[in-house]
Amino acid sequence: MSTVADDLYQDLVVEHKRAPRHFGTLAAPTHQARGRNPQCGDDVQVQLQLEGDVVRDIRFSGQGCAICIASTSMMTEAVLGREAGVVRELQQHFRAVLTGQEQPQEATLGKLVSLSGVSRYPSRIKCALLGWHALMHALQAPEPHASEEAAR
Amino acid sequence: MGDMLQAATLAADFPGLAQGVNGEPLAYLDNAATTHMPRPVQDAMRAFETRSRANIHRGVHTLSQRSTEAFEQARATLKRFVGAGAQHELVFTSGTTEALNLVAHGLSDAGQDGPVLQPGDDIVVTALEHHANLVPWQLAARRSGARLLVLRPDRQGRLHIDELAPLLSPRTRVFAVTACANATGERPPYEALMALAAEAGALTVLDAAQAMAHEVPLLSQLPCDFMAFSGHKMYGPMGIGALVGRRPALERLTPLRLGGDMVEWVSETSASFAALPARLEGGTPHVAGAVGMAAAADYMDAIGLEAIDAHVRALRAHAVAGLSALPGLTVLSPDAGRSAIVSFVAAAAHPHDLGTLLDERGIAVRTGNHCAQPLLEWLGVGPTTRASFALYNTHDEVERLIDGVAFALEVLK
Repeated sequence: MSTVADDLYQDLVVEHKRAPRHFGTLAAPTHQARGRNPQCGDDVQVQLQLEGDVVRDIRFSGQGCAICIASTSMMTEAVLGREAGVVRELQQHFRAVLTGQEQPQEATLGKLVSLSGVSRYPSRIKCALLGWHALMHALQAPEPHASEEAAR
Repeated sequence: MGDMLQAATLAADFPGLAQGVNGEPLAYLDNAATTHMPRPVQDAMRAFETRSRANIHRGVHTLSQRSTEAFEQARATLKRFVGAGAQHELVFTSGTTEALNLVAHGLSDAGQDGPVLQPGDDIVVTALEHHANLVPWQLAARRSGARLLVLRPDRQGRLHIDELAPLLSPRTRVFAVTACANATGERPPYEALMALAAEAGALTVLDAAQAMAHEVPLLSQLPCDFMAFSGHKMYGPMGIGALVGRRPALERLTPLRLGGDMVEWVSETSASFAALPARLEGGTPHVAGAVGMAAAADYMDAIGLEAIDAHVRALRAHAVAGLSALPGLTVLSPDAGRSAIVSFVAAAAHPHDLGTLLDERGIAVRTGNHCAQPLLEWLGVGPTTRASFALYNTHDEVERLIDGVAFALEVLK
């Protein structure tokens, strides 16, 4: 029988929550945005150093639940060094998996596949997407000003 | 006092609670958000809808007369329930939020005789309020040019009467306070706070939503001009509530809902308003809701308010003791003895993760900001996990909560 611990809180997820990658701030970000969910109090800031179209560096800060922090942490690893177009594509795949519109494939999602169980907990999907929302807004943001957007 | 309220007959009164969730028996501990409705309340509403459904006040036919009588009987029952006297009136609203909006709007809108609130007036609210007793006052202040002052709690979340005195002056027009903070469970000394504000000449507003399920404030003993509460937080239906208060105070409110039944006389270009309570009850009311809300008051009376209050306080004390003993866990307002709410934060576990892991064990709790963001920011705790108790909860469920939280802390470590 599957349990919440297996579905949502796999070791990899809890490990990323405990020690999030690229946590902190950039000295001179070219793009940044903030994702907030006022209902649950989650609040994540994502900063980017874009070189042309490529994510040369990324940091995130803020607070959130284990799903939110782990998802954002894995996101930073997944998008570092990638072009904006590839990042957008990955976001779309991840989102489609979480909302049950696509089957998870390790080939596409890498470590993020460990979060695919979130699709069985609809109230938690917004947790897993908050950092990604901020990332998408950061990519759209006219540099170098910060944009602020609450997650829907 | 054990679980003396959990007699078999009582359990059978709440069909919604006798179900499994994720393979476990449901432990419904989200009563501060909404309570479940006992059979007698559901029966009363069904009986009204089946036998007496008709619009009130307008018809001369039998069903309309029955409906009108049921509505007015519900009003009388609820007035008695909250200790209203001859100088008080009760108007039905859609709930606490509408009742508080009605007061804040009614004092700041120009209406026909100009607004009660004027530039230079002060409105005093407390930082314990949920958004429904804060945001309407923010807007009322902006609309009227009044100043909004906030009575803040100490770092333990307690309000002190000494701190209110410096905020009061002859310019204080309104003082609004909660009977129980929904985010922390703190039960402020609202009687003394309102007395001091009333002495300074302020109109006093009590948000009684969280108190009604166990500690009903008695109007006749309170220096209270307006009191707001909801049906669904006192074992009654959703979508119905009440504003009860002193007649002269209610008469100063500009109506929020203009239309049928609240007017006395209407010409093409102007209208005069009806007397209370119709004046503040424009449109067709939720008559079945009023009937159900009154049935809920009768149900609580039959069990005994003191027994209910003692039971939920014992459950809260049990939960505070058990949760406080868990590593890295902090209970907010631990000393709020007269409360049915226990709210807590864990150093290493976010409330949403706790809430999901508890749900797996059939335990329903609330997680998040509880519509009280400014308070939680002031206390420096962020979102919390909240368990809240009602007359049907048991000490066994409290044990399951403590075990569930301990397990969740282990998973998320």
